[in-house]
Amino acid sequence: MLYVQMLVNGIMLGALYACLAIGFSLVWGVLNVINMLHGSLLVLGGYLTYTAWHDYGVHPLIALFAVAFALFLLGYAIQRILINRVVDMPVLVTMTLTFALDLILYNFMIVYFTATPVRVTLNLGVIDAGGIFVPVDRLAGMVLALLLTGLLYVVLRRSRIGRAIVAVRMDRSAAMLMGIRVEHIYAITFGIGALMAGATGAVFAMVYPMTTDLDFTFLGKAFIVCIIGGLGSVQGALVGGLVLGLVESIAGQFLGPQYALTAGFALMLVLLVAMPTGLTGVKGFE
Amino acid sequence: MKFVSRHCLWLAFASAIAVMALSGAPAQADDVIKIGAPLALTGPLAVESKKQEVVWNMWVAKVNASGGINVGGKKMNVKLVEYDYQSDGQRAAQLAEKLITDDKVNFLFAPFGSGHTKIVASVAERYQMPLIACSSSAETVYNQGFKYLFGLLAANGASNAIIVKYIKTKAPSIKSIAIYGRDDVFPKSMASGVAEAAKAAGLNVAYNNYYPVGTIDHSSGLSAIKAAKPDWIYVTGYTSDLILIRKQMSDLGVTAPVVTMVAGPAYKEYTDALGNLANGITSWTWWHPAVNYQGVGVWPTTQSFVKDFVAKEHVEPDYIHASCAAAGVILANAIERAGTLDHQKVRDALASTNITTFYGPIKYAANGLNEAGSIPIIQIQNKQIKVLYPDGVKNADLELMK
Amino acid sequence: MMRLRCSVFAVWILALASTPLWGDNYIVHLAITIAMYSTLAISWNFIGGFAGYPSFATSAFFGLGCYVGALTQRAGLPVSAAWLCATAGVGIFAGLFGLIILRLRGHYFAIASFGLVEVLRLVISSSDSLTGGGDGLNVPLFHGGPDFVARIFLAVMVGIMVIAFAVSILVDRSRLGFGLRCIEQNEDAADMVGIDTTRYKIVAFVLSAMFCGTVGGAYASWTGYIDPTDAFDAIMTIKTPVMCMLGGVGTVLGPVAGSASFLLLEEFFWSHFLAYNRAILGAVIVIIIFFLPGGLLGIADGKGPRASFRRSLGRWLKGGPVAVP
Repeated sequence: MLYVQMLVNGIMLGALYACLAIGFSLVWGVLNVINMLHGSLLVLGGYLTYTAWHDYGVHPLIALFAVAFALFLLGYAIQRILINRVVDMPVLVTMTLTFALDLILYNFMIVYFTATPVRVTLNLGVIDAGGIFVPVDRLAGMVLALLLTGLLYVVLRRSRIGRAIVAVRMDRSAAMLMGIRVEHIYAITFGIGALMAGATGAVFAMVYPMTTDLDFTFLGKAFIVCIIGGLGSVQGALVGGLVLGLVESIAGQFLGPQYALTAGFALMLVLLVAMPTGLTGVKGFE
Repeated sequence: MKFVSRHCLWLAFASAIAVMALSGAPAQADDVIKIGAPLALTGPLAVESKKQEVVWNMWVAKVNASGGINVGGKKMNVKLVEYDYQSDGQRAAQLAEKLITDDKVNFLFAPFGSGHTKIVASVAERYQMPLIACSSSAETVYNQGFKYLFGLLAANGASNAIIVKYIKTKAPSIKSIAIYGRDDVFPKSMASGVAEAAKAAGLNVAYNNYYPVGTIDHSSGLSAIKAAKPDWIYVTGYTSDLILIRKQMSDLGVTAPVVTMVAGPAYKEYTDALGNLANGITSWTWWHPAVNYQGVGVWPTTQSFVKDFVAKEHVEPDYIHASCAAAGVILANAIERAGTLDHQKVRDALASTNITTFYGPIKYAANGLNEAGSIPIIQIQNKQIKVLYPDGVKNADLELMK
Repeated sequence: MMRLRCSVFAVWILALASTPLWGDNYIVHLAITIAMYSTLAISWNFIGGFAGYPSFATSAFFGLGCYVGALTQRAGLPVSAAWLCATAGVGIFAGLFGLIILRLRGHYFAIASFGLVEVLRLVISSSDSLTGGGDGLNVPLFHGGPDFVARIFLAVMVGIMVIAFAVSILVDRSRLGFGLRCIEQNEDAADMVGIDTTRYKIVAFVLSAMFCGTVGGAYASWTGYIDPTDAFDAIMTIKTPVMCMLGGVGTVLGPVAGSASFLLLEEFFWSHFLAYNRAILGAVIVIIIFFLPGGLLGIADGKGPRASFRRSLGRWLKGGPVAVP
């Protein structure tokens, strides 16, 4: 019974991790940029959702879409105005730039939202399936996470813009020759990354207490998920997220909670060396 | 020549910044007592640190409005000099040194938490600068032989024994305890301390583990606790950890007749974020607005402090607010008794403190811990904080949780 | 040229070392911090600048140095021996770890080095019987007045900085430096022309770690208390490369110039803008990236800062890429 509960916990956690990492993975895969801003965007999404719910009485599910759209615009602007100009530079430059943007965003968040932990309280209850407990809000979060992931997958596969993104990811020069406006596609991609971060942040706010200093924690998870799963693909993030969720849950059970986080990072380091393309075998940039 | 000009340029730039960085120190007035406060206004400790900032400013305004502190017959105003050390220990030490040598403050207030208090205390000790710590209670901070460090909170060890004894008396059916603590100075010492106290009192410690800083999912730890079926669950951590843990306990159906969490439930944010889930949680704290003391200083009674605070912040104060405001009261009292701002004399006056303030009685042991400190045990009942202990101030009885 | 660099450096060292004569202890504290970060930046430059490997492992080495130094000192070793242990221990660790992760390149290397900081922090905080876990470790405090202690640690940190700088000059002029620059330009080509890239990279990685270890050990003795969150600090690990970028990556003097100006700027914002100091720091980094792509030394290389700034601004307004660093 304990073990079934352990697996259930792991899977629900894993779905959230997948959703958390997907935007980060997309940006890394397509733009070749390690987006240090990702964690803060997530926190921003969470706080905006909370503010809409708490101060204006907007249902979090509705707020989620508004917040996601707002973050898309923010992401598009950041990429178009700033990152596009250094996108071809070495990883050191892009990583440092996004880190600097993170400092700015973090500072404004701590001034406007303060660091008080907040939570969207929905009280959806718990399903008790013969001793296995499944909290409904987490289940809903998981379903939402999977829906968003599925939606992104379809968009990337079917829509014009999605196919353009995939084309740029595969071969930038060729995509340029085919008349794709790479700068625009870059900005759209970063926008989608921010959108996914915002939406995930909204989901997280329903499940977790949000504080402004969670940004680096989220970012760390995104790193691990990407390395485990493989870069720049929806499947990769999904596999990576679920594996990380299960590893943390199992390690926490058998080794004790002290080692849950260590196990995740250790797995990342091992995979980095043994299988840098991740479990799904999608190859990233060198 | 080309190279010369290039390096001159660099030197010029560097010196320009240097001048910029080092200039602009405010002019110093002689009749002001300056108190330095390194604060963690950003970073993980921001919530707690902002509370310190609020009450210290409140205290300064109150003292100055009443004419200042009497230093050997001369009334002097107080000024707070604060910096943000961003919850970064290295920074805290650096800023403490800046406050002492550059801003030439007369006294120091310690930052939030035991870890950073320890760092600042080692700087203060070097400069023989009296340091009042209003939010550290870990014995490991006070057993370093620091002579200039004075705390307010009662020591953790005593607190653990009290709560174990209280729970055993009120709920004799309790036989086993599960302890789940955050691996960080204060919460960790609380968790290990209660484990010892529980063993000493004959309870069976069914589960005892720490979770690392940065854990955002507690399912595995809580599932294991559930399997251990303890009568009493004792969790330590900071507010956001405890909110999450309480929420996940209900998600996973983890219950026990007594659930104690330290040190979140004393704060309003805890109940705000949890709603009905907060009900039934017990905790202990160092101070509660319901206590009623009469004492020295700008706030003659507990009520007068609570009233001032509510008027300004529109919420009830918690123990950090009270102990940090009391830090000011104690310092002012020691200065008045010493009749001078001399560090050594004020330090001696602090050491011989034996007063009651709105916060409670203060009397220092040789190591700088407040040995007169008491700890009210509280329980959230119907989203209100009720005091269960000590008997003098209690307004409710322990309710067991189902 | 080399002589001039050395003399500029010597003047700067004199300025730092003479702070007790003309400044109060806060200035001395600042000078110690500058010397400490300069050492970290010079160290980073071996792997990040010369070899072009984007390492974010600085805090890992620094933190490990803190713990090795603290533990050996607590075990009864004299202070200087403890610092040597920290140096050697961290160097050996970096050699072994480098064997594994230097096979990675670019982003993967960056993430692996970043992950190392986190893993070490978690490992150290969960092995509490040895390291005290989250409780941290007390290190025996130096006895003596504040002036005395400040002078001792100033001498120590500046000393380490001078040694690191000297090694950096030696590397710059040696075959090793040449080889590392080849690796930075094109590793496969370097391999083909017969440079033992693996060995070179490992040497650079060890060099980038050793002095961080020494500085960490000295830092632990200086503050008298360390804990995992402060020792393995994610911000420090990013600040160090930023300092090098500010000064000029891959140059000998760049890390020194960068760390000094970065810390002085930071100090200025800290004391003058209480609520927005991080945002301003972020804005400064953004400006450095866009308008000072070659770092401060880079400005001097061009035709003066104004020309370089105007050039970058022009490109930026046109929306094109800013100059290549």
